[in-house]
Amino acid sequence: MDYSKKIQEIASKLFADNKINYFVGYKQNSFDDSQVPFLITDPAEIPKLVFTDRSVFNLANYLKPDHTKRKRVGLVVKGCDSRALNLMLTESQVKRENIYIIGICCEGVLNEKGEKAQNCVECVMPDPVVYDEMIGSPTGKREYTINADIRELATKALEERADYFESIFENCIRCNACRHSCPLCYCAKCCIDQETSTLYHGANTSSGAMHALMTWSLHLAGRCVDCRNCEKACPSHLPLHLLHKQNESVIYENFQQHLAGMEKDDRGAFYKYSLSDPDDFIL
Amino acid sequence: MNVFLVETDKTGLQKFYEEIIGKFETYAPVEKFGKYDYKRISKLDECDPDSPIETTMSIKPLFFPKTAKVMKFKEDNTGTTISETDEDSLTGKRIILGVKHCDARGLQVLDQVYNWDYIDTDYQKRRGNTVIISTRCDKAGTQCFCTSLDYDVEKSDAHDIRIVNGLDGKIYIQAVTQKGEGFVKENISQQSAVGSQQSLEEIKKHYKSFEASFRLKMDYKEVNEKLQKLFDSPEFETVSSNCIGCNTCAFICPTCHCFKITDEKIKDTGVRYKSYDSCNNGYFTLMAGGHNPRPVKYRRWRQRALHKFVYYKERFGMNLCVGCGHCAISCPVNISIFDVVNQVAKV
Ligand code: SF4
Ligand code: SF4
Ligand code: SF4
Ligand code: SF4
Ligand code: SF4
Ligand code: SF4
Repeated sequence: MDYSKKIQEIASKLFADNKINYFVGYKQNSFDDSQVPFLITDPAEIPKLVFTDRSVFNLANYLKPDHTKRKRVGLVVKGCDSRALNLMLTESQVKRENIYIIGICCEGVLNEKGEKAQNCVECVMPDPVVYDEMIGSPTGKREYTINADIRELATKALEERADYFESIFENCIRCNACRHSCPLCYCAKCCIDQETSTLYHGANTSSGAMHALMTWSLHLAGRCVDCRNCEKACPSHLPLHLLHKQNESVIYENFQQHLAGMEKDDRGAFYKYSLSDPDDFIL
Repeated sequence: MNVFLVETDKTGLQKFYEEIIGKFETYAPVEKFGKYDYKRISKLDECDPDSPIETTMSIKPLFFPKTAKVMKFKEDNTGTTISETDEDSLTGKRIILGVKHCDARGLQVLDQVYNWDYIDTDYQKRRGNTVIISTRCDKAGTQCFCTSLDYDVEKSDAHDIRIVNGLDGKIYIQAVTQKGEGFVKENISQQSAVGSQQSLEEIKKHYKSFEASFRLKMDYKEVNEKLQKLFDSPEFETVSSNCIGCNTCAFICPTCHCFKITDEKIKDTGVRYKSYDSCNNGYFTLMAGGHNPRPVKYRRWRQRALHKFVYYKERFGMNLCVGCGHCAISCPVNISIFDVVNQVAKV
């Protein structure tokens, strides 16, 4: 999967036709074969744009006003990233006419060890679900499976599960990279920020981290698209997907097989109401 | 620099470690989820004193903890009562194993600000009670640039004791401070030959090859001088364009020392905490009235870069960045302060 040339062509055209102020893509790191998000306002930078199986980020994150100031943006998205876009659109975080979406039919990206990333192995929708221009050939929706690590977690006794999560939270440094790298965590003031909290998790302790991260994951329940931008950002390498995937699997089983952002106008599981929802369960 | 040298080998070093771990409160790099952090250990096999350079956190939290209780408070109809917290007495003697050059230098840099207008007594106590023992750092990591700055790694006395690889499997335990010398004399049972001219030569050679292993090199003086005049450089916007504004770079940095004060309160009682803060975070300069003098991220990054490479140097005579590269490794988008200052200074 190397779409660098194609993306450079589209970006050039978008700038030439004065359709965008920013283009958000990927740039090669100088020290190894990893890449980083690359924001351009100057067409002279276009030759540096790349896209390969090392293009791991969810660039929808850069649609937040801090980064692109609500201007017109061209961006590259993979299947999972585009699902986040659907939610950002319904949640009025971005105007459809302000973005030009290059959707990639994704073949999966690699993790730091060079293996296929776990979320790509489990991916339900590698094709873009919203786009202006598509690159590659769509392969269609795949079956949703609940993964071994989540199933295993579910079999553990409550105490054991709590201990396990505690051992994760112990290593959290409260840097908030997880929240700032999630495209769906766009609130300017977040309830997990230490600065806004007086009741709980004001301190950098592991109980504070537990409270903050659990609250965070519940705000993403039914909205998280499993792009794992948060997990990749975590400097302590914490397995944050365990929180999100556990929520996702519960929602899938209880709320009519809902998966976030798969369709246009999707509002996330908690904002939908259906008479056939079970009423014995509140997440 | 006074030097007291003991020659040993792998087994001898192991024995030295085991002996001191048994005697003192010991901290060393411990692996979890593929990352290393300095944690309390009780046995040598729990840790790796020669861990990879890329630890998540530096040793900073052992002196300036990521969160600390400042006081307790209780409100009733007569007013507010304030009381001391039950934090530890900080009297136990501690040792830290596997400390990198940059991290150790970081403490010397922090000493300046914590001994300045307000003396942070907790920090001072922790400093006084701790013996710092180095890792066998003999090859630079991809993001390291400690040899390019305003200190000399070879002549540094930032560690108390340095562990240096010699030739043919020899290992030197080198005390470089008085505290270190006392510690070695007290705790080393296998007193072998003390520093010959030849061993000193070997150590010199070790530093030569160490220095040669760096990918990143810069002309510190030039960068520092240029940056002094570049407050208005438009480059700050370019270099920070993909920064997501988290706290990672400051929290993991061995020398960032900013903190915020927050309260945890239930009904009428609560605890006041002091926890890490970061100038790359939008709240950092937000004032009570709502005004924010650094409302956009390039202004925040400019503060970071110039505090590190200009302001601190002006006030305390030391560069606030020690070249550890932790920030570039841990940053979600790999922004490296080395690249930032060089790119801004290049223009
Ligand atoms: S989760 Fe799917 S769409 Fe996302 S990167 Fe992996 S394969 Fe591509
Ligand atoms: S919570 Fe993590 S995995 Fe889910 S959408 Fe946000 S960044 Fe992606
Ligand atoms: S990115 Fe990781 S360490 Fe940072 S706050 Fe999130 S979970 Fe904690
Ligand atoms: S700014 Fe980065 S390289 Fe410099 S001391 Fe801090 S973490 Fe290390
Ligand atoms: S760089 Fe920022 S966070 Fe670090 S010490 Fe300076 S002002 Fe504080
Ligand atoms: S760690 Fe990186 S993304 Fe986070 S604030 Fe620092 S430079 Fe920005």
